[in-house]
Amino acid sequence: MATKVENWREKEAGIDEIFEKYPEIPKIIILKTDVHRRGYVLSEKAERLLEEGNYQSEADTIFGEKLGAKKIPIGLTFRDGTSLIGGYRSNEGIRDHYVIDAIDGKFYVTDNGNVYEEVDFWKEPDFYHKKTSKGTPMGEVVNVRPQRLNFAISRVCHFWDTPGEGCKYCYVGINGIEATKKNIPALYDYDEIAESVAEAIKQQGRFSMIMVTTGSILTGKKVFDDEVDEIIKAFEKVKPIFNRKDLKVQLIGSAYDKEQLIRLKEATGIIGYTADLEVANKEAFEWICPGKAKHVGYEEWKKRLYDAVEVFGRGNVNTGIVGGVETAQPNGFSSEEEALKAVLSEAEELAQHGVSVAYIVWGICGIFKDQVPPSLDYYIALAKGLDEISRKYGLEAYFDDYRRCGNHPNTDLGRI
Amino acid sequence: MAITLSENVIELLRNRESKKVLATVDKNGIPNVSFKGSITVNEEGKIELIELLETSQTNKNLTYSLWFDKTVAISVWGEGGTEYEIKGIPRKVHIDGPYYEKKYVESLERNPINDISGVWIIEPTEVRNQTYAERKKEQDEKYPIIGHLDKDRKL
Ligand code: SF4
Repeated sequence: MATKVENWREKEAGIDEIFEKYPEIPKIIILKTDVHRRGYVLSEKAERLLEEGNYQSEADTIFGEKLGAKKIPIGLTFRDGTSLIGGYRSNEGIRDHYVIDAIDGKFYVTDNGNVYEEVDFWKEPDFYHKKTSKGTPMGEVVNVRPQRLNFAISRVCHFWDTPGEGCKYCYVGINGIEATKKNIPALYDYDEIAESVAEAIKQQGRFSMIMVTTGSILTGKKVFDDEVDEIIKAFEKVKPIFNRKDLKVQLIGSAYDKEQLIRLKEATGIIGYTADLEVANKEAFEWICPGKAKHVGYEEWKKRLYDAVEVFGRGNVNTGIVGGVETAQPNGFSSEEEALKAVLSEAEELAQHGVSVAYIVWGICGIFKDQVPPSLDYYIALAKGLDEISRKYGLEAYFDDYRRCGNHPNTDLGRI
Repeated sequence: MAITLSENVIELLRNRESKKVLATVDKNGIPNVSFKGSITVNEEGKIELIELLETSQTNKNLTYSLWFDKTVAISVWGEGGTEYEIKGIPRKVHIDGPYYEKKYVESLERNPINDISGVWIIEPTEVRNQTYAERKKEQDEKYPIIGHLDKDRKL
């Protein structure tokens, strides 16, 4: 049961006040951030319009549910081309949702009688309902965003093998446990991935990058050795699809040591590397991500990111954080001001070493299902602060920008 | 305020032989000018252009203008010296979807190294006839004080 914030409209600065407070931040980005924070639902008219169009629905991958059910929107696109990933019924019951309404055959974000912005839902790619040679719908093997293909290596994150060690905000870990109970193999089938990727990229102009991720695999001589091996195995199948050695791929993986990073880069040719620190504060990290803290440690995680800059090059390495999770209670920051100061100071240290930070809006789930994400003011100050740091250190993040990802308000700001 | 472009301006903008230049500014007000042969008028009467380069200053400035309702200017120059300036505000960029993909394929057909960033839609807000002969006539009528005396000399 979500924790409802009673009378939240009276307690927090509303979006119109935030527009005024931050005239230098585009309203579209403020709105996108708030729609993500509060979630959205569809009006009946919008539901009908969605059913009529060639829109993509949730898929059965590490990120979502099965194909074929009633259409559940998976993401939105705004007029400026930026995306909102998820958001449908997210953070339900905490604050009021936005409502996507249909007006004159178009979708609009509305709230409390105000019409804010025209949006559209993501279109289904051509390959989505084709089947692999083993008969699996390709949309259940490879998942998409407007310009990106996603696939995963392991649907199970083994930090969850030891009770209490999974990251507390995470749903991937919980989905992995469910999959194990249903005897679904932990690892995806790399032949099916390669077939699906090969089919997907036949559609001209549809995809500009691949994002690969995985639940953490802790086994091997050193922690994550087996994870690196599995990624390399997958790329042995995927690489021959392409006519070049360096691939437009971002890997979001665990924090590997330097030997693993070099091995991975040489074998796969991936260009972008992300190891999500998730929580940019040591004490909060140790409480929220106990598995990462035990197997790697906060300072070592950061050091591995710095090593990754040496291996992949400046501008090709970043780290993701779950924006706002540092305010989780009872052990997180109780003051948003202090939380912001702490996160930005860590982000500055990371940037000094060539690592940029990309935040996502905290979608409440997992062990933290009763928590409350912070105010819109917090999220906009965070986006602004992170953008300023990236500019100060000349860090561009094209591999994680509005087109190739779309999930980070701060990298959206980097567009101008 | 959005305006409707007249037929002759639409024709000039759609003509592949016309020279078309786009002027934008960045967030610090620094101007940028570039030739944009792709400028045309779409079926809804809006100006459309293709930005090929993701990292171009034009792309950044168009994004800035869309975000903050800032005006961009287009100069179009055609046969016989006909020249118009059109001002407008970028309202949308297609970075995906069927329309984008269609433009992507057409762009590749023109030049296989192309890889388009976006199809920008600009709402026209003002048109000025900048054809020299017409502007000169207008100025002479409205401001008879302007101009050199040697030209007024009785011969
Ligand atoms: S590392 Fe943490 S966030 Fe990532 S899948 Fe595992 S538990 Fe979830």
